[in-house]
Amino acid sequence: MYIRVAFVILVSVLLSACLPSSPSSKGKRTITVYGFSIMKEPLEKEIYPMFKEKWLREHGEEIDFVSSFAGSETVTNQILQGSPAEIAILSIERDVDRLIKAGHVPNDWYVTPQKGIANKTPFVILVRKGNPKQITDFPDLAKDGVRIIHPDPVSSGGAQWSILSIYGSELIKNEMAGTKDDAKAIGTLRSIWKNVISTPASAREARTQFETGFGDALITYELEGLAMRAAGAPIEIVVPKSTIFSEHPVCIVDRNVTAEERPAIEAFRNFLWSEQAQRAFVKYHFRSTTDEKLNDANPEFSKIEMPFTVQRFGGWEKAYPEVIEGIFRDQIQAKK
Amino acid sequence: MSRVRHVRGFDIVKPLSIFAMIGIMLPLILLPLASIFIYGTSSGLDKFWQALNAPEAVFALQLSLVTSFWATVFNVAFGLFAAYVLSKYKFWGSNAITVIISLPTAIPTAVAGFALLLLWGPYGILGRYTDPYFHLMFTAWAIIVANIFVTFPLAFGVIKPVFDTMSTSLEEASATMGATRWQTFWHVTLPGLRGAIVTGALLTFARAVGEFGSTILVSGNLASRTQTAPLYIFAKFNEGQVEAANAIAIVLALFSFAIFSILFFAQGYLEKE
Repeated sequence: MYIRVAFVILVSVLLSACLPSSPSSKGKRTITVYGFSIMKEPLEKEIYPMFKEKWLREHGEEIDFVSSFAGSETVTNQILQGSPAEIAILSIERDVDRLIKAGHVPNDWYVTPQKGIANKTPFVILVRKGNPKQITDFPDLAKDGVRIIHPDPVSSGGAQWSILSIYGSELIKNEMAGTKDDAKAIGTLRSIWKNVISTPASAREARTQFETGFGDALITYELEGLAMRAAGAPIEIVVPKSTIFSEHPVCIVDRNVTAEERPAIEAFRNFLWSEQAQRAFVKYHFRSTTDEKLNDANPEFSKIEMPFTVQRFGGWEKAYPEVIEGIFRDQIQAKK
Repeated sequence: MSRVRHVRGFDIVKPLSIFAMIGIMLPLILLPLASIFIYGTSSGLDKFWQALNAPEAVFALQLSLVTSFWATVFNVAFGLFAAYVLSKYKFWGSNAITVIISLPTAIPTAVAGFALLLLWGPYGILGRYTDPYFHLMFTAWAIIVANIFVTFPLAFGVIKPVFDTMSTSLEEASATMGATRWQTFWHVTLPGLRGAIVTGALLTFARAVGEFGSTILVSGNLASRTQTAPLYIFAKFNEGQVEAANAIAIVLALFSFAIFSILFFAQGYLEKE
């Protein structure tokens, strides 16, 4: 008898004998977006609502967005394992290539002149207020006693951008000085890596750690620094003399999309290059890829003296095996 | 109780040992717990309520409770059944089965998660055949299955020892009075197991609500869809919304405190025949 009573109590505590279904998404069309960590705010605060409104106006249908955010490599691996992503917004193009290789994404995945790149942002160094360690450029990070937070290149695309940024920046400065010295640039990268005290899984996680007072410096997307500054965090942004612009691709995960769902999903992807969406990105400190003039709307953007892109290394298909694997993984991490 | 020896008319050992115990617990358990409460209430209670009332947060808590509930129902029923079979019948391989049931305790929960993915995922050993008909992974069902896996031995572990020590005389008496096997089980055996069943259920439930490692792999971690409370905490921390993460952490801490208080105080009541 008592056992039944106990069970009744347990059941009444829970008040539910079926799986909860999301209250908002009953009978609505949904679009499932997997994005890399820092994409969350502009999408959830501006772009989803804008697109919902547009779709309702044009097709009289409600749309619901479901999303999951993590490090770019993590997101890609989840999709490769079969996560139900319909749209992937990734930090590095190499992750799109991985999805293509596995047959999730077709070869002709982009339709816009921007080659599938929705937005971009340069890499900068964040330091504590007053810059107590006197960091002015990447090589200063190699000084003794500087503790660096750096996301983990295994799970984070931002971490890979950061490594390319340091290495490329040193190469360019060496060239300016008239010495083409790869070994020297590798040496700088190595001594910077010695000062890394923590490798969180994503750029956003790294920022959270830095915000809780951990470490002296953080190499990250410029927009993370601008967002922190806007929130009144006691930090300063150090702009390296030469740094990389990270470019973030968007692709449709064809394998998870039915013919019936396709029009809405394609419309959403294309919407990301509309002026409206690009302005929203700029508002959230990403830089537009469709029109440089839009970037004038954000006075916070820093001027980069000698910017470069992954094309300097011959695109991701070369940069990944040569720099991330060949130099960073095999020569630096292995010897740490 | 043996007579307490008094040192100079005053027993110094008692307060000292109590203080020592609390002193050890302070930095390890009490202060970390206290700090989530202090932080959670530092920006005002309205902020805390706001964080708690966010639809995503409410959903995550609901999902955690429901998935844990079903995992508990299954594991208590199975634990009862397995304990009955293993203590009633001796057969070749029964010891091996007892060991296998206890195995999930030693398996890291992340391994449990990707083991399930390797089996049921869209490209998994079985999943590749079942995928066209139904999806198990990346749904709430996946969370239930993962919870069942990681909490599998708990209820069984509590129930089986009670079964083993139960005297068979009562059951025999009931059988001689003409009761069927089923009646004997329902009216004689089960009431004796009441305490063990409730304890096992609460332990399983508490453990499942806090489950993280396996859930993050099998659920897909979609907000308002397959995101449980621990995943919500992790996601919010990663997004830098520490207040939101903390509010739910406080709820889970209170919840766990409630469960174990019930266990502690209800023990006496449940043990009564």
